[in-house]
Amino acid sequence: MNVPLTKGAVEALCKGLDVDKPVLQLLNIRQISNASSPPRFRLMMSDGQHSLTSCLLATQLNYLSEENLLVPNCVCLLKKTTNNTLADGRRVVVVMDMDILKSAKETGGKIGNPTPYNTDGKTSSPQKVSSSTYVPESPPSAAVPGPSYRNYSSPRGRGGSFTGKTPMKASPMKASAIKASPSKGLTMKVSPMKASPMKANSASPGSSAKVNPIASLNPYQSKWTIRARVTNKSSIRTWSNSKGEGKLFSFEIVDESGEIRITAFNKEVDKFFSLVEQGKVYYISKATLKPANKQYTTLKNDYEMTLHAHSSIVPCDDNQSIPTVHCDFVPIAELENRDKDAIIDVIGICKSAEDVSRITTKNSREVSKRALSIIDETGKVVTVTLWGEEAENFDGSTQPVVAIKGARLSDFGGRSLSALFSSTVMVNPDIPQAFRLRAWYDREGFAVNSQSLTETRSAGTGLNMNWKTLSDIKNEDMGHGEKAQYFSCVATVLYIRKENCLYQACPSADCNKKVIDQQNGLYRCEKCNKEFPNFKYRLLLSANLADFGDNQWVTCFQETAEALLGHSAETLGHLRDTDEAAFDEVFQKANFTTHIFKNRVKLETYNDESRVKVTVMEVQPVDHREYSRRLLQNIYKLAR
Amino acid sequence: MASLLDTSKPRINCSMLSQHIGRGVCFVGRVEKVHPTGKTFSVSDGEGKSATVELNEPLEEELSGIVEVIGMVSSKGVITTTTYNILREDKGIPFDLELYNEALKVIHDFPQYYPFEVAASG
Repeated sequence: MNVPLTKGAVEALCKGLDVDKPVLQLLNIRQISNASSPPRFRLMMSDGQHSLTSCLLATQLNYLSEENLLVPNCVCLLKKTTNNTLADGRRVVVVMDMDILKSAKETGGKIGNPTPYNTDGKTSSPQKVSSSTYVPESPPSAAVPGPSYRNYSSPRGRGGSFTGKTPMKASPMKASAIKASPSKGLTMKVSPMKASPMKANSASPGSSAKVNPIASLNPYQSKWTIRARVTNKSSIRTWSNSKGEGKLFSFEIVDESGEIRITAFNKEVDKFFSLVEQGKVYYISKATLKPANKQYTTLKNDYEMTLHAHSSIVPCDDNQSIPTVHCDFVPIAELENRDKDAIIDVIGICKSAEDVSRITTKNSREVSKRALSIIDETGKVVTVTLWGEEAENFDGSTQPVVAIKGARLSDFGGRSLSALFSSTVMVNPDIPQAFRLRAWYDREGFAVNSQSLTETRSAGTGLNMNWKTLSDIKNEDMGHGEKAQYFSCVATVLYIRKENCLYQACPSADCNKKVIDQQNGLYRCEKCNKEFPNFKYRLLLSANLADFGDNQWVTCFQETAEALLGHSAETLGHLRDTDEAAFDEVFQKANFTTHIFKNRVKLETYNDESRVKVTVMEVQPVDHREYSRRLLQNIYKLAR
Repeated sequence: MASLLDTSKPRINCSMLSQHIGRGVCFVGRVEKVHPTGKTFSVSDGEGKSATVELNEPLEEELSGIVEVIGMVSSKGVITTTTYNILREDKGIPFDLELYNEALKVIHDFPQYYPFEVAASG
């Protein structure tokens, strides 16, 4: 009794205005019978001044009634309501969330003397229907106005009986013939409202079924309504082939159960293109389902939808339960393990973006393209290519989080991603992974010396371009794992061992095994199990490399050895036997030359002794400009 | 002037000229215009800014491309040349002036890591 009701709330609600958490008294609650689906409860609420009868309880609150918490005369706080306008213009208030402040017992009785609120003829009070039974099967909108008009004829009468002391109950209603019909009439009217928005909201007249999950759609069931968010909308495309020409646009939608692609052709394009907006939620019903043409879509649904003349798309305001986008992000480091041409979703921070460039395709079409480098928590970087408008509009200057759904993985330059026509590119999306990435990047990510899966201009394949210094070998315990590690470094040759740099190898092609000198002019190869009168010289160098931090003994085989020394093994073999001085000279000249070494490091065990062995896989001259740029990058990173 | 060659000559670009007035410097830039007398010419640095260089004797050769000028900065911001080198474009790796400019900025931003000051006695 002492809890004040929010005066004027009923009036405001009837006018369709928003009331902030009004406190109202429940005067009556009635269950509306309907054929399918959960029961619907109709409430009569009062604010002490007026009463509001066209008030519905959202089905998620049904438990309040079923557990007898909602008893007439209890006082409630309406935490969330939505206002619905029916096809005939009447308003219904749907209560989405409410708290019971005072039970009926505590309240005692009806507060005040509320009169039904009248909004010029179109009252919220229940209408009469002369016909006593009106089973609300699938009442088309047309049927609704009919009886309702008759209902309007005596609103007062109705209202009067409502404000009667007796709480509204089904049985007393039926007692009087007039009253019986209104309740049913109301029921009938109510069900279309309730039918479409299961969780309230939106006037979607005509759909009697409740909302179906996208995952349940199939071509064999034609009566369905879905509520989903548009995740990707394409632009209008026209085609012209032997059968004629036409235009189409397609979009993809997602709800809690899954996603599906929808296409509209010709006339439907005109009808729906401007209505459908990416990111918004709609009720959709009456479209054709058919097996998906996987060529045009990458969504995980066996079916796809085509809109036709009777299709209906109605905007929905209730977005709470629809996920924004269904993304299955793959960590960049894992991209190496995926097959080429796979369609994947990826998310990362855009470390850098190139300028947009214009390219002419094979079909002589000019298109814009932009390459970005994105990095994620795995520390790996991959290049993503954007096309067309997306490329032109992209701004990577703020190092935004970029999420791409449905990009194609290619093996161009190792591994790289390309945005397809059907891909969705989101910049700084509103999803938890984006926030995690942002936090990681700001804390540590920006300084990570990332390894790009996509080949850069510099030497070496993308996977192996791992710049280290010689001191890192010891500091990071490189090579200690199960697999050998590869790295590149810039180092200077300090010394190359002249002794045992050459060995006699089997002359057969591809066999480099050392041959044994049989002393009779023949050389035996154990691997080929043959004897030869000749051999080929092969180099096996033991060299000491150094940089500012450390030095390291490495092994160089034939190719890399020849690159370092600048002579072939044969020449050297010959020199060694003929001109000692010249032979020495070759080694001297190699000292203090600086190169880029690509090495393989591994912990090896030889007769109880474990040693970290480094082998040179490739020797390249130092590209000073590239090296300088890299050093500058490192300095900038350290300077942050 | 020969003593200039014994002191340290920090590498600078145009924006640093004003801070080194009266000091010996080393300036690397691209030759822009050569004065008809041959005694002065303008150079542009990696940032695109220009400076003027004066010579004691008029030029005897065609000057083009990138040059390295060692000299002193006058109060007017003009470099009085002690000696100069031409970094020939047809030999070796082409000189990347923008990259050089980046390096210059780093050297000047972190002088503690680039202690080029050598005792004058050499």
